[in-house]
Amino acid sequence: MSYTELTVWTRGIIMDKEGRDIVNSVAAAGRLEGKFAQAMENYVDNPDRTNAPTRKYCRLSDSEIENALTYENEHPSIVVLVEQTMVKGWDYMRGMPPGGTLVINTHYTPDYMLRFVPGPERLAQLVCVDAAKLAEHKWLYYRLGELGLDRLSTEGAAERSKAIAPDIAAPLIAAVVKTTGIVKMETIEPMIANKAAFRAALDELHVLPLGQAVA
Amino acid sequence: MSTKGTHIPDWLQVPFAGITPAPSQTKGQDLFPTGNWRSIRPVYRDKMPPCNNACGTNEKIQGYLDLVKRGKYLDAYALIKEDMPFPSVTGRVCYHPCEQACNRGQHDEAISIRAVERFLGDLGQALPKDVVVAGPPTGKTVAVVGSGPAGHSAAYQLARLGYSVTILEKSPKAGGLNRGGIPDWVLPQHVLDREIERLVELGVTIQTNTEVGKDVTWDALKNNYDACVLAVGLTEPNSVRADGEDKGGVHYGLPFLRDIGMGTSTVKLGPRVAVIGGGNTAIDCAREAFRQGAQEVTMITVESNTQEMPCVPEDLHDMLEEGVELMHGFAMTAVRGNGTVDALELHPARFTGAINASPIAVNREVAGVNFPVDQVIIAVGQHPSLQWLPAEFKNERGTIAVDAFGRLGNTNFFAAGDIVQIGSGQPLMVVNAVGDGKRVAFNVDRVLRGERLEPRAIPIDVITDLKRMNMTYFPHFPRVAQEMLQAASRRRTQDEVIQAYSEEQAVEEANRCFSCGTCNACDNCYLVCPEPCIVRPERSNGLYKILVDYCKGCRVCIEECPTGCLEGVPELDFDTGVVRMDTAFAITQGLHGRQAKELRELPNLPAKDIENWR
Repeated sequence: MSYTELTVWTRGIIMDKEGRDIVNSVAAAGRLEGKFAQAMENYVDNPDRTNAPTRKYCRLSDSEIENALTYENEHPSIVVLVEQTMVKGWDYMRGMPPGGTLVINTHYTPDYMLRFVPGPERLAQLVCVDAAKLAEHKWLYYRLGELGLDRLSTEGAAERSKAIAPDIAAPLIAAVVKTTGIVKMETIEPMIANKAAFRAALDELHVLPLGQAVA
Repeated sequence: MSTKGTHIPDWLQVPFAGITPAPSQTKGQDLFPTGNWRSIRPVYRDKMPPCNNACGTNEKIQGYLDLVKRGKYLDAYALIKEDMPFPSVTGRVCYHPCEQACNRGQHDEAISIRAVERFLGDLGQALPKDVVVAGPPTGKTVAVVGSGPAGHSAAYQLARLGYSVTILEKSPKAGGLNRGGIPDWVLPQHVLDREIERLVELGVTIQTNTEVGKDVTWDALKNNYDACVLAVGLTEPNSVRADGEDKGGVHYGLPFLRDIGMGTSTVKLGPRVAVIGGGNTAIDCAREAFRQGAQEVTMITVESNTQEMPCVPEDLHDMLEEGVELMHGFAMTAVRGNGTVDALELHPARFTGAINASPIAVNREVAGVNFPVDQVIIAVGQHPSLQWLPAEFKNERGTIAVDAFGRLGNTNFFAAGDIVQIGSGQPLMVVNAVGDGKRVAFNVDRVLRGERLEPRAIPIDVITDLKRMNMTYFPHFPRVAQEMLQAASRRRTQDEVIQAYSEEQAVEEANRCFSCGTCNACDNCYLVCPEPCIVRPERSNGLYKILVDYCKGCRVCIEECPTGCLEGVPELDFDTGVVRMDTAFAITQGLHGRQAKELRELPNLPAKDIENWR
């Protein structure tokens, strides 16, 4: 019997959907594989504030999920940071059992990022993927600083919200699935809108193996 | 909202979840550091303003303009004196590359930096005692050959470093090109005399009528001094290689001006004078010719229009205003006359290359133009005279061979100024010679202290351009014009043509400075920050600090910084500034259902226990 928790840390408004795409697609793939799956967002964080830290949760289990009405992951073994600076901000490692995986969207190397991680001894691997580059994202995530200038526009928002992982979520999903095997690649790949970025990420991961064995 | 995971100090414990102390409450903000929202961090970093960068001696122009704005004239004068020994001279004669580079030139009109410098220089001249003092004596002696801009600058900097400096000057009066190459109506002699007095006050000995190779030998320089700076300049005028150039009535530009400057001139000009050449010296000669009695002055240049002439445009404009005629596209091929000049023979000519120093192609197939004149002044550049220099130190251009530090081989001899800069692509201007003299003086100091000479570390990474700045804050203001004598009256006198700024004018002009890339305490960031996270102990340049625990990286201060001093740096480039917060707001760790247990039972408690529920 296996039970796995995945927590995604992201930022309110500007990359809220990316976090949601990750947990939703992993949970959906899990259900297709016959697992019990759950995905939800955390509204304690007040995610409707630009740049505010928000969390998205996903759970996969072979048996029925007992704590289905608990709205936070207490022991996530996989943590994804959708924006690199979040590595400095929160204790996202809290509750992680030994053998966890941390995936960060960054152009820095895992060696550089490791210095910011609280409690790295629990990690089995630190995975860095330059998702903004792989997804050829225009400016929103790569030059975050310019957000303040252009956040009034909602141009293209409706089209974007229909597709699953049209942007930087695709490489991050690839990183999670390839390094942890939480779901099968062939189950999740058909759901992803940006398949080019998804496939490119499979070759472009920077994985730093650490002390623990992958849980 | 809950306060889960956050350490709450006792004095902030609240009886009910969801009650958040307002940030304005005393120390209430300590509870909710919002700095972890930030992905970029605003950083104050002063950058190189374009004026400082363009200046031949890298004067801190933005710095002294800022001080003039605040009425701190003496501080401004002291700042200028760090790099420039004679601001009253360059305030009059400089070709102001700073003003060409000035960012304000793209907005409305460049700052009149030279006029403010002159204001400060004149202020310094009026002081009973200079602000600069000689350094603690090192007991070492340095000879400086030549008292022109480069020699003056090197001697000045060496005296400030504590060396006993002796200037050897071949003319009867010190000043070099400042005295001999610049007419009185640009730089009055008494201004230069005062600056040379200042140099003597600093402890520099000036030996006039002392020529190297005649009065002092190379070996004497080598044996009597610990080091020697050769700033001899270019003394010999170039010839145009025309037939009959040796006739009476043919003068050369620099000796013509030098003799007038030294008061030894015997030249009497006839009514018609021609000037050959299109540079700054030629312009000075043409304007001086009027003051020496000429009625008609014609300038003959090989350049085919005024744009190609290698001169300062303002001076060209003033010259034309005084009535000098221009003849473009001709070269003088012969001087006609019996013993004296009657006429010139001119042939169409052009430069064969893109630059003015390239060879001239003269078209001799057409008949020459006969141009009747009484005198001709040839001002087509100078070359050095270095018979006294040992052959091993000469290079193929006929000047002194120096390394990157201005040093002659492994000796304690250095060279500075036009003598090394000719042919290097540097304009041969006063301010460039001053800068060269300054740098060489520092190199001499290092050698005499036994330190290694290292290539100058250039601390310039960014030269601020307009794109980095916020132009919304700068309304258009015209440049404060310097008053000038009328062309008709000034062309017969030696009175100074351009007039000085008054104090009000200098402050008004300094106020136009953008302070490109440099914090000038405008308080804008302090005012626009939506969080109270920019602090300052007092309103002063560069004293602003950012409370990174609360800065959300919204970029408002960066976008609104008028001078472009603030910049956004990715937060991850810093190892510091980790603000760990568990999550937004929750009183205890764990789940909400569990967390609120005490609270759920709260209504069941007696009233007095509710007051002291913890």
